[in-house]
Amino acid sequence: MECRELTSLAIDELLGQAQEPARRDLARHLEGCAACRSHMTGIEKTWQSLGEDPDVPVTAEFRDRTLALLEDEMLRQRIRTFRPRPPWPRWTRVLAYAAGLAIAALGGFSTARQAGVSAAGTAAASKQAASPVEAGGRLSNVSYTPPDAQGRIGVSFDLEARRAFVGRPDDPAMAKLLAYLVSRSAQTAGEKSQAIEQVSSHYGSRVAPTSPDIVRALTSTLRKDPNPGVRKKAADALASFAMTSEIRSAFLDALNADTNPAVRLVAVEALAAAAKESPDARTIESLRAKAFDPAENGFVRTKAASALKAMEF
Amino acid sequence: MNSADLGGATDRSLLERVVRGDTSGAGELFERYAPALLRFAARLLSDRNTAEEVTQEVFVKVISRAHQYDGRAEVSSWLFAIAANACRDRRRRDRRATVVPLDAVPEPVHKGDGVESVLGDRQRREAVRRALSVLSEEQREALILARYHGLAYAQIADVLGISVGAVKTRIFRAVETLKSRFSEGESSWNAAN
Repeated sequence: MECRELTSLAIDELLGQAQEPARRDLARHLEGCAACRSHMTGIEKTWQSLGEDPDVPVTAEFRDRTLALLEDEMLRQRIRTFRPRPPWPRWTRVLAYAAGLAIAALGGFSTARQAGVSAAGTAAASKQAASPVEAGGRLSNVSYTPPDAQGRIGVSFDLEARRAFVGRPDDPAMAKLLAYLVSRSAQTAGEKSQAIEQVSSHYGSRVAPTSPDIVRALTSTLRKDPNPGVRKKAADALASFAMTSEIRSAFLDALNADTNPAVRLVAVEALAAAAKESPDARTIESLRAKAFDPAENGFVRTKAASALKAMEF
Repeated sequence: MNSADLGGATDRSLLERVVRGDTSGAGELFERYAPALLRFAARLLSDRNTAEEVTQEVFVKVISRAHQYDGRAEVSSWLFAIAANACRDRRRRDRRATVVPLDAVPEPVHKGDGVESVLGDRQRREAVRRALSVLSEEQREALILARYHGLAYAQIADVLGISVGAVKTRIFRAVETLKSRFSEGESSWNAAN
């Protein structure tokens, strides 16, 4: 070997990546070359001076926060990659329609039989639905049925005995029942999430206009629920509604105080979308604060910055 | 480097789980690689909060890009490549922003650690940080991956998207620069010994 090759060979040696013949060459060369011996000593000292890499521990808080974020991201990804199935053949649609009618009839019959009321339908359902809400009881084993031919959805649950209620989403009593399921009755995160999903699919920009009861239930969930996944679901649902001062205020609170970055991200997106239509000073101020906050999550910060950029003042 | 050697699921099978939408795959990859990636990002960015954010970004990107992994490089190299890119983006973005130095961010003190030990660690970390700050970003990335993460030249080449020859050149120049500073009498280095 030649003297000019020393540094490369020394680094290979120090990294443990030197081949045996090269190591022998290096050792032989160092024996006979004082200048290279001195150079080698300098390289070794430099190497040692870099020390060991001090540990940067993964704290429990960071681990929990990240795993929650990853959970949310997986969920988001699943929704993104979802593709509706190709349209069913005509005969299956006829069957589904018939089955829907049968379920609706069965639900109406069940309601009438257990409540002692002969009439089914919206008015009767509204009347029945009001009672468990007002009584403040715990509704368990809740299940939902999709809209029937008349656009009525079904909610069944246990309250002393099994009950089923059928009504259109724009029926105030049905809205009140769903709001109750979101805010007060649901005990577990799963039950709450299920109730919020129902609300998301039947209200807001979709079939029925937003009900004040539902907005109240969702904003309260967004502010207070201890589970970040539930809070995010509530935020997603609210984001699909037309912006009101109540919803804006809940999003601003979430943006400033929610501990979960995924929730804050939804808040930024919703506030930015609304501010694009009609800019409001508090929203712009909050987005600006987030965009320049070095302690804020990178995604939230970037989203806030690009939202501000997209706004025309 | 390859955690598959440690037993249990291989890194690739964990990534396949992520592609299938199974959260446990992402969680397990986090448990395996978060400490190393956090260390790598903290070393490059000198800011613990930003390093945590970058580490989070890496795993979020793993979820959205798992289907793009082509298997040519090891999963660990792929993760470090995402981290290296994220750190570069972050440095570009934050160039004008105020950065809190690593030492200004309190880290959890392990029970049983004496005050001297904690102070000694801090001094050592600061000395190494100062030494590495004289290098170019490219040299620093290559040297950190080789010196502190034990990656082979070929793995570093995969991570940085350059040839093995270019990796060797960067490490060579980094060592030469540090050595010349050392022989000029950079006294702060002594703290790292």
